Amino acid sequence: MSDHTPTGWKRWAYSTNHKDIGSMYIMYAVVMALIGGTMSMMIRLELAEPGLQFLEDLHFYNVLVTGHGLIMIFFVVMPGLIGGFGNWFVPLMIGAPDMAFPRLNNISFWLLIAATVMLILSVFIGGGAGTGWTMYPPLSNSLFHDSASVDYAILALHLAGASSILGAINFITTIVNMRAPGMTFHKMPLFVWSVLVTAFLLVTALPVLAGALTMLLTDRNFGTSFFAPEGGGDPILWQHLFWFFGHPEVYIMILPAFGIISHIISTFSRKPVFGYLGMAYAMVSIGAVGYIVWAHHMYTVGLGVDTRAYFLLATMLIAVPTGIKIFSWIATMWGGSITFETPMLFAIGFIFLFTVGGVTGVVLANAGMDIMMHDTYYVVAHFHYVLSLGAVFSMFAGFYYWIGKMSGRQYPEALGKLHFWVTFIGVNILFFPQHFLGLAGMPRRIPDYPDVYAGWNMVSSIGAAIAGFGTLIFLFVIYRTFTAGEKAAANPWGEGAKTLEWTVSSPPPFHSFSEPPQFDAKPEAAE
Amino acid sequence: MSNTTQSKRNRTIGLAVVGIVFSMVALAYASVPLYRIFCQVTGYGGTPQITESGPTTAMSQRKIKVRFNADVNSSLDWKFKPYEHEMEVHLGETALATYSAENDGKETVTGTAIFNVTPLKAAPYFNKVECFCFSEQTLAAGETADMPVSFFVDPEILEDPNTQEVRTITLSYTFYRAKSDS
Repeated sequence: MSDHTPTGWKRWAYSTNHKDIGSMYIMYAVVMALIGGTMSMMIRLELAEPGLQFLEDLHFYNVLVTGHGLIMIFFVVMPGLIGGFGNWFVPLMIGAPDMAFPRLNNISFWLLIAATVMLILSVFIGGGAGTGWTMYPPLSNSLFHDSASVDYAILALHLAGASSILGAINFITTIVNMRAPGMTFHKMPLFVWSVLVTAFLLVTALPVLAGALTMLLTDRNFGTSFFAPEGGGDPILWQHLFWFFGHPEVYIMILPAFGIISHIISTFSRKPVFGYLGMAYAMVSIGAVGYIVWAHHMYTVGLGVDTRAYFLLATMLIAVPTGIKIFSWIATMWGGSITFETPMLFAIGFIFLFTVGGVTGVVLANAGMDIMMHDTYYVVAHFHYVLSLGAVFSMFAGFYYWIGKMSGRQYPEALGKLHFWVTFIGVNILFFPQHFLGLAGMPRRIPDYPDVYAGWNMVSSIGAAIAGFGTLIFLFVIYRTFTAGEKAAANPWGEGAKTLEWTVSSPPPFHSFSEPPQFDAKPEAAE
Repeated sequence: MSNTTQSKRNRTIGLAVVGIVFSMVALAYASVPLYRIFCQVTGYGGTPQITESGPTTAMSQRKIKVRFNADVNSSLDWKFKPYEHEMEVHLGETALATYSAENDGKETVTGTAIFNVTPLKAAPYFNKVECFCFSEQTLAAGETADMPVSFFVDPEILEDPNTQEVRTITLSYTFYRAKSDS
């Protein structure tokens, strides 16, 4: 392979290099997170007090809620975890020179940019799409959204979905075909396992969304009636199709997080991961069972009692492999020589917050309970604990863990710890009171509320302000890292960090592993 | 491994995954007719049964209350209401109810009535023998028409543990402008 290294704008626009594309994904995710986060700050500002103070246009509130959800899911967490860290570290961890289809990788990234343009356009057409990220008909029908805004949002999701599917094809091929000699599936690092399972979920779930979105698009524009009862359709069918995609989608967002957390816990406990195979197959079973639980999002649509009992049971079943993972992380730390650098703080924060969200998830899995809690702030608190705090904490953990490797400069430790504590305190003040609001019956997606909910809403908004301040610290951390960060060693974390990415320099050369490394089959290397 | 065998193997795996993607899209579309058949066969989501003939089992002494609901979608300028709001029928007894529809608009319009029963779990036992909703209905401007439905409730409803407590079934219709007319 030649040492050709393109320069200037062509290096990025035409890039086929997994590291450069990974860097672009991460930068893109940070920018989109700031936009999506600003939207949530506007929501919390309006919700701080009862009555309407800042957002007079109620449709605009719906647009904010929709945009926040879509951006955070499709344009922050998925590009950040899968496109960013996945592109950067899957080839490095398996000793491959690059992804299997480098040009496809470039297309994946730029399709995402095209999707973003579509989504931004949708906001400026006819007041934007105020459908919620779930886009249920009849609200998303042309009767209630008669402008092209929803059509643009649909096309944005089509493009983002195509981008993710192409990326997933690339990951599956890379992981199946390009592992270093000696690295069997059962010796692959857990992050690679997590990306492999995620990629399989992507190629099986996203086409269903694409199909359902196309049906919605033709219902809106070409007179079909897939979801229109007057033409023999059924709006409930949309919910079935959407959640058949939507539930695997939440595992698509959290499984790469699981992989990252396993590496960090192992590194800073200076022990191999407890129960490596159990951890790998827990992810496989979470992915598999994730396909047969979708209707727990639809307990209130009138499912039969036996159907609800089945979905209740299947949903509860997922707590078992998830419990295996939580247990194994704690068992990895047990008796370890633990140090608490910033990545480790975020990883432990992840375990704590994800467990809180998991417990409320088991509560919501109960069909009887869910009838009461459906569409209340209890659900909002639940999925923000597992995603906003779970997935996002893992992204911060991965950032601090690998920024030295990616940029060649270590982050400032004290500022990183400050960032962790401010964020951790902020998000808990932000989301924990929402459990109380939900139990008291406060509905989600409504910009106003009775005075009885005023107290905890104010607390929640104060938490949002603290978490927002944490984001500013994070931006300052990025600034300090790139302007004054210490040069990072090839392996700044010492004996605990055993995966292959720590065997190359920091930052790695533009082309690494042109000759596949001989993978050492030591048992402790398998983490 | 040489570069050519590597890229050949990559292409094989890549194309296999593309195959998965397309079969999942096909599955999503296949789910539309499958879902419709599933609802009709099982009465899922409150889809009542449609029978050619009357009840096969003997009439039961037990009675059940059937309520009638009528709605009109905003796309139609019609008045639509049942003559009787409720009636008591024996289980297994074929009964006839009549709705009245009046076109208040200024033009001839074709409507189609969408129906379901609640509680949804009673749907498998609610049988329609003949119904105005089986076909589209056309009303000239100002025209009024009677719209009959004959139905029976299967005595099997007493055997199902999930429907033991059902004493009232609501039959609901919503008239939409027919797709062919819009």
